[in-house]
Amino acid sequence: MLRFLVRRSLGALVILFLLSIVAFLLFFGMPRDPALLMCGKGCTPANVANIHHVLGLDKSIPEQYWIFLHNLVAGSDGFAQGPCPAPCFGYSYHTNEEVWGTLMDRLPTTLSLTLGGAVCFLIIGLSTGLIAAWKRGTLVDKTFTAGAMVISSMQIYFLGPLLLAVLVYQAHVFDKPDYNPFTTDPVAWFTGLIVPWVVLSTIFASQYTRMARSSMIEQLQEEHVRTARAKGMSRRYVFFRYAWRGSLIPIVTIFGIDLGSLLGGAIITEYTFGLPGLGRLAVEAVQFSDLPLLLGVMLFSATMILLFNIIVDACYAFIDPRVRLS
Amino acid sequence: MSKGGRQAYAALSVLAAGALVLTGCSKGGSDTGDNKKQDKENAQRQQASIKFGGASDSQGPAPEVPGAKSGGTISVPQRDSLAHLDPAQIYVSNESQMALLYHRGLTGFKATSNDGKQHEVVGDLATDSGTTTDGGKTWKYTLKDGVKWEDGSPITSKDVRQSVERLFAPFINTGPSYLQQWLANTPGADYRKLLPDGPYKGKHLPNSILETPDDKTIIFHFKTAHPDLPYALGMVGYAMVSQKGDTKERYDKKPVTCGPYKIASFKSGKSMVLVKNPNWDPKTDPMRHQYVDQFNITFNHQFEDSTKALLADGTADQTSVSFQNAVDAGNLSKVLSDPKMKSRTVEGYQPFVGQMNINMSHPAMQDKKVREAIAYALPVSPFQRAYGGSDAMDIPGGIISPTVSGYDPNFDPWNRKNKPAGDPAKAKKLLQEAGKVGMKLTFGYINSQEGQAYSTAMAAGLKKAGFDVQRQEIPAESYYDQVSKIKNNYDIFNSNWGADWPSASTVIPPSFDGRQIADGASNYSQLNDPQVNNEIDRINKITDPVKAAAAWEKLDKHIVKDIINIVPTGYFKQVQIAGSKIGGLAYDDVIGAIDPRRVYVK
Repeated sequence: MLRFLVRRSLGALVILFLLSIVAFLLFFGMPRDPALLMCGKGCTPANVANIHHVLGLDKSIPEQYWIFLHNLVAGSDGFAQGPCPAPCFGYSYHTNEEVWGTLMDRLPTTLSLTLGGAVCFLIIGLSTGLIAAWKRGTLVDKTFTAGAMVISSMQIYFLGPLLLAVLVYQAHVFDKPDYNPFTTDPVAWFTGLIVPWVVLSTIFASQYTRMARSSMIEQLQEEHVRTARAKGMSRRYVFFRYAWRGSLIPIVTIFGIDLGSLLGGAIITEYTFGLPGLGRLAVEAVQFSDLPLLLGVMLFSATMILLFNIIVDACYAFIDPRVRLS
Repeated sequence: MSKGGRQAYAALSVLAAGALVLTGCSKGGSDTGDNKKQDKENAQRQQASIKFGGASDSQGPAPEVPGAKSGGTISVPQRDSLAHLDPAQIYVSNESQMALLYHRGLTGFKATSNDGKQHEVVGDLATDSGTTTDGGKTWKYTLKDGVKWEDGSPITSKDVRQSVERLFAPFINTGPSYLQQWLANTPGADYRKLLPDGPYKGKHLPNSILETPDDKTIIFHFKTAHPDLPYALGMVGYAMVSQKGDTKERYDKKPVTCGPYKIASFKSGKSMVLVKNPNWDPKTDPMRHQYVDQFNITFNHQFEDSTKALLADGTADQTSVSFQNAVDAGNLSKVLSDPKMKSRTVEGYQPFVGQMNINMSHPAMQDKKVREAIAYALPVSPFQRAYGGSDAMDIPGGIISPTVSGYDPNFDPWNRKNKPAGDPAKAKKLLQEAGKVGMKLTFGYINSQEGQAYSTAMAAGLKKAGFDVQRQEIPAESYYDQVSKIKNNYDIFNSNWGADWPSASTVIPPSFDGRQIADGASNYSQLNDPQVNNEIDRINKITDPVKAAAAWEKLDKHIVKDIINIVPTGYFKQVQIAGSKIGGLAYDDVIGAIDPRRVYVK
């Protein structure tokens, strides 16, 4: 296991390294100049050059990249805005905030949104999927399957504003979406995130319903399951003890990808509900051609996805003893 | 500044526009005779010249807002976070508006009526709006007694010197640069050579430029007359910075304030809390109030969301008002047609004017008949529709907006008010006379919801007149980067520009001075006409604001009607709404939005 983790972690570092190079090159390939975005009225080439100098954009791309890597690993005291301990992504061009601090400041919002949403969509998705598989071919199965199909075709940017209008602004059933730290006010934390969780779980749960159903049906047709039934074990026992465990692998795979992606920033959800998380930060970084912030958000998101991929792979061994992590 | 605050914030303007046009754009039920009359009245009052107030006008306290009560907390849902708290870095309208609560400058724009319609420039920290004895070359200011920073220390001329000198430092690059250029007597960015490191390496501006003979007195010396100085110093970008508290780049996150409120907390992209500043003395402030105990400001609220919340007027939203957000286009008609909802709204013009630039550097565009044909053919109604209809945009005449002195509501050179969809027949005739029927016209348009909408309809209008229109999409994020390049492929493209203060001196020179043509500069149409350049120089020297306004008006008409390097496409307007327990609501013409200084909880 340790060897597996070390090997995968090293692989992830290589991917992150390559990704950072690509992000750097893409940034400089873009047809826009962050200095022009910052340049005041009466903008002249001399003013743009001054901003380039202040931002360090007058250095060569390899030199800038080297400085970025060095700061990331060793930190830097060279920023006029203040110290920047490792992992140092520098200071935002647009807000002058330290990027790592900003990421950590926005993370709890995204974390709360993701984990709460994940709990909801896992419970709803898996339970409906299992019921559909248990009641295969019945009206219940068809209702759940068709419902999942319909819901999966909905989009957050449609369902979100709709629920906001109906449940929040008209019926006043729920509070306006807002993020309050769990540590300061758990009740406000919960009530402020209910609507985003509902939307997120509605959209995501449907794929878990379909995945759980099809995976269970497939498992129920496996030889070891049929053997267990033939040996006289009860349907319920076989269903949960034998088929369920085997059906988890595709579910865990997709869950790992979803969780990693969401932790990297649920862009549309955060934008729809005005939640200041990592997804919104990503939009701001692109909007303002903010290279340090862009690299910070991108590498953080990529790290989350790679981390959860490794965790998912590690989980396979626990779920299915036939899988060996070698 | 361009919409949203200069091209630096072009992206923001794109978002602003997007928020306004979520559901298309009917004229709606609000386009009534009453509203048109009100628009006309708004325009008339907004074009009135703003006089320079004397010592008595500059004394505090500010006149009480009728019915105002003290206490309570107001929530302020805003769309955009504040990128800057250092006044020298502030240029964008939403940052300037918020900063009125915590920063103060030498002068300011004081509303002299409770509806925010009348204004004068008065001394804010200074005893008056400034005195000059030589037509604007030398300006003297004296600080009031009892003006203090939030820590209780007095504000002195040393702070003013620091505030001015640090404007030359390399890290100050997003704020206005008028004062720096005037002091250095040079356009562009060369002003930095006057004091390349600001005051941070022991060098200072000489007394021949900036004099601070004692703790109270400040004297600006310019090589040429700058009669607009009292206006310019009223910009938040020239508000004061504490010499003792100046932490250079770090000041942007933790400034020392001197307004009625101080910053209790600021979380970039999330929230801000303003609380009362106990060291603010209302007797020194002719413009601000301190009715509310606390402002809880939160960011990331789209126009549609804040509108819905304020319309619902739930318990928490009754004491809520957004200083920045307008009523979204989808709810405009509903709000304005319901008297109860309308009573909670204020409306007015924004300083921004849309203009279709005709690229004068392209040989094909140098034929005046072609430009005239474009002016006649170009429909402006699609532009109005794209931004939310007549409640969000007025059909324009000249380039001077209704909020700026020199605006003429009767100026309509292309008969736009009668034919907002253009006059393709007349345009075709002109094109035939020029022998250019079927000529190719490359139309660069912004890839935003409204850009897509108006460019399609505008292109169709131009085609009817006989142009072979080629639409070229430009990504919204880099739109201004692309169109402000000297070498660009576009024959025509739209841009939005707003005045920095209610004088056309902040509209015509940056947009049409041929000596300022450069990559990234704001003379988008690349007009370089010696007659216009000379006239700009002449008008800039006129010390009487009324005479200057008249001269700018004449030049505006000459450019729009005789040169035709631009075709105005719209005057931006907005409607804002507040919760039912917000008092003191007024749309301030100079701010171009709700005045945050006078609101209270009912």
